[in-house]
Amino acid sequence: MTTETQEPQGSEAARPPFYRDVRVIRVVGQLVAVIVVFGIAYWLVNNLISNMNRLGISTSFDFLFGPTNTAIPYHEEFAIRSPVWQMSLVGIKNTFLAAIFGVILASVVGLIVGVSRLSDNWLVARLATFYVEFFRNIPPLVLIIFFGFAVFTFGPFPIFSESWELKLPGSDDTLLIINNDRWGVPGFTATGSLVLFWVILAAGIVIAAYMWRRRTKHFEQTGQPHHRVLWFTGVVVASLVVAYIASGQPLDVSWPVISENRRRVDGGFIANWGWISVTFALGLYTASHLAEIIRGSILAVHQGQSEAANAVALSAFQRYRFVVLPQAMRIALPPTINQYLNLVKNTSLGTAVGYAEITALTKTSVGNGRPAFQSFIIVMAVYLVFSLSISLTLNVVNRRLQLESR
Amino acid sequence: MTTTAPAPPQQSSLDWVKKNLFRNWWSGLITVVLLPLTLYVAYRALRFLFVTGQWDAVRVNLTLFMQGTFPRDEQWRLITQIMIFALAFGIGLGTNSAASRDRAEDAGLVVERGSVAGTLARMWSLVAFIALLLFFATTDDVGNFINPFLVVGGSMVIAGAGYQARRLPRRFRNVGWLLTMTFLVIGFQTVSGFDAGGWVPLGIVYGISVYSIAPVDRFDATWLRIALRLVGAGVVVLGIRAIYAVVDTPGIGWDEWSGLHLTLMVSAIAIVLAFPLGLLLALARRSTLPALRMMATAYIEVIRGVPLITLLFMGQFILGFMMPAGTLLSAITRAIAVMTFFSAAYIAEIVRGGLQALPKGQTEAGQAMGMAPPPIMRRIILPQALTAVIPAMVGQFISLFKDSSLLSIIAVLEFLGVRKIIHAQEAFRGVGIAETLVFVAIGYWAFAFAMSRESQRLERRLRVTR
Repeated sequence: MTTETQEPQGSEAARPPFYRDVRVIRVVGQLVAVIVVFGIAYWLVNNLISNMNRLGISTSFDFLFGPTNTAIPYHEEFAIRSPVWQMSLVGIKNTFLAAIFGVILASVVGLIVGVSRLSDNWLVARLATFYVEFFRNIPPLVLIIFFGFAVFTFGPFPIFSESWELKLPGSDDTLLIINNDRWGVPGFTATGSLVLFWVILAAGIVIAAYMWRRRTKHFEQTGQPHHRVLWFTGVVVASLVVAYIASGQPLDVSWPVISENRRRVDGGFIANWGWISVTFALGLYTASHLAEIIRGSILAVHQGQSEAANAVALSAFQRYRFVVLPQAMRIALPPTINQYLNLVKNTSLGTAVGYAEITALTKTSVGNGRPAFQSFIIVMAVYLVFSLSISLTLNVVNRRLQLESR
Repeated sequence: MTTTAPAPPQQSSLDWVKKNLFRNWWSGLITVVLLPLTLYVAYRALRFLFVTGQWDAVRVNLTLFMQGTFPRDEQWRLITQIMIFALAFGIGLGTNSAASRDRAEDAGLVVERGSVAGTLARMWSLVAFIALLLFFATTDDVGNFINPFLVVGGSMVIAGAGYQARRLPRRFRNVGWLLTMTFLVIGFQTVSGFDAGGWVPLGIVYGISVYSIAPVDRFDATWLRIALRLVGAGVVVLGIRAIYAVVDTPGIGWDEWSGLHLTLMVSAIAIVLAFPLGLLLALARRSTLPALRMMATAYIEVIRGVPLITLLFMGQFILGFMMPAGTLLSAITRAIAVMTFFSAAYIAEIVRGGLQALPKGQTEAGQAMGMAPPPIMRRIILPQALTAVIPAMVGQFISLFKDSSLLSIIAVLEFLGVRKIIHAQEAFRGVGIAETLVFVAIGYWAFAFAMSRESQRLERRLRVTR
């Protein structure tokens, strides 16, 4: 009875003054925060624009369409007069070239070293530990500079005009060219239009993926062996052959050849030393981090899982392949992707060895008088778009992969 | 060796080899392939270190590596600084270990006693690096011969003396902390000078300590207590300001710093400045206020999504433009600003991890006690969350330390950048390029390895106490 009458009155009387009312504080607090942050941002940008105007620096993005006027190292085919945005595209391509091969190298080495750390061979485990502790604690920039400038002093690396050439036995074609400037290996050149080739190949990959899923379902329903790897590879190889023939054999093997003036390598796939140092340094550096992730993930799989696998008489290989590794992979996935992203971001250190990736090219272009703010905004946007899209994808994949936790 | 005890199961070295190197045929195969390879690489590495390496580029320029282009006749500042820092670290370590020992004993835990030998063994990489420095230093002239030994030996003695602060009675332990902070600031200012602007850090340290330990409990009114605390802190701060106004000796501003000194200082300054910022960002990202949350998230994701080097370029080319016309910021100031804002985003994510890992029951317990949100955060959540993330913070410091090498790209001469001036010298143009780089790598490695060992130990200890 009394509570009924008192409750509204009580809350009326106990209503706090407005400056202690949570609802008011929330709104006012957010307003203040937004005003402060945007005020500071406005002040900074305002200063920037007025200073740039005062010094007569352009605040527009028009410079992207002006001529580059500088050559890109190791890109003799790049016309000096091409617009700046094309230079940026070359940079982006080089960034990803280094990143992709770095990721591959890091994954392979990281997996080997990570598993080796758990080996019961004392020497192997020790060497793997040494590898991890060695590479993990040295700045990647030092490694890149080491590969870029210092590695020559340790062994006989031929100078350009005396390249080592490895000929294909019984022919004049060169398999491998090595000198202290570039390496060349055989590659492909297009002799015709590649559109049809890529379309057929893409269709082939889609079909292969479909076959993979069908075989998996078949296995799940009937328990018969799925051979999905075989099926997948078979379909891809078949579509490669079909695409090659159907589009009129548009590809030719191109062998690396040292040019007449012995200044460049023509044909083939040419790796310049900047690419080599960035890829190897970052690959080996990231591998040390990946090894730790892999080791930790394998150890994190519950002991009972291995025991259960032993109890149903799985072999050591089967235990790893079907019980431990699939679970370890779930744990390892997020930090691994994080390391891959770090590797992509670290390719920007190619600046130190003059590798023509986007940051280095932009730095040169800024040095040649392009407006710094806009140039670096573009570079940052490229990295940001890449990082954010990868982490978004990762979040989705991760949510699907994680086990339901109780 | 003869023993009277019954023979233990024979574990001869042959057995060990069999078990650990030739367990089965492929293990044996790997051993047979890897062992000669390892020995050969080790032989080449040692040969490079002791025989073939042309270490003159390092030997002659050792001072340059340590202090860079810092004015030679002001060297005493750096030496004094190292001594004062040693004292501060000694006192801090002593007070800290005494405090944690007491806490553990209060909780009825068995305390493992650390020893000097144990610490040195844990820090063996740093000891080895110092030994390497001393090895290089011996062949130099007399002045350089004396200095390194004096500095290393002297700072060890002083640190040991400071470590005796552990004997302070419990109620004076705050004094130990205050001394540590004071000596840290003063050590910093031996180099940067006791000019009128330098009172701020010491003012903050003493202001906060006076505010928090002022004996005003006998007054009942909250506002009176706060007012008295404020007055006390204000008086102390103004006193320090007055002292600095009188002392007013300019030092060497950090524009002149370089070498390993700069590397260590930049990483330390950046992490110290970044911590409060990162904490605020983490709290904002966890906040229930959408505007705060979105702004913090945007900041963190953008900073984490771009490479540090692009931010450093931005700092070099743009930061000056973002200030009012006429403001001059030195290259190192801009670099420190960028490193701070960069680390803040990473620290925010670490702290957020710590906050998320805490069970919700902690907050609810606080609410059940009728506590307001700020005290819950300050007295219940943050102490636990921050303790839990200490190893990760050390990890972040290691990566910041390694990242400071990027400053050499923007022409700040830190440990790695010093190589540029060395190889611009007549005698070392193109000579000893690998040697100087290996030396730098060893330096970075020694510090980073010692810190990672320490962080692993902290992790183990935290796991035990939890």
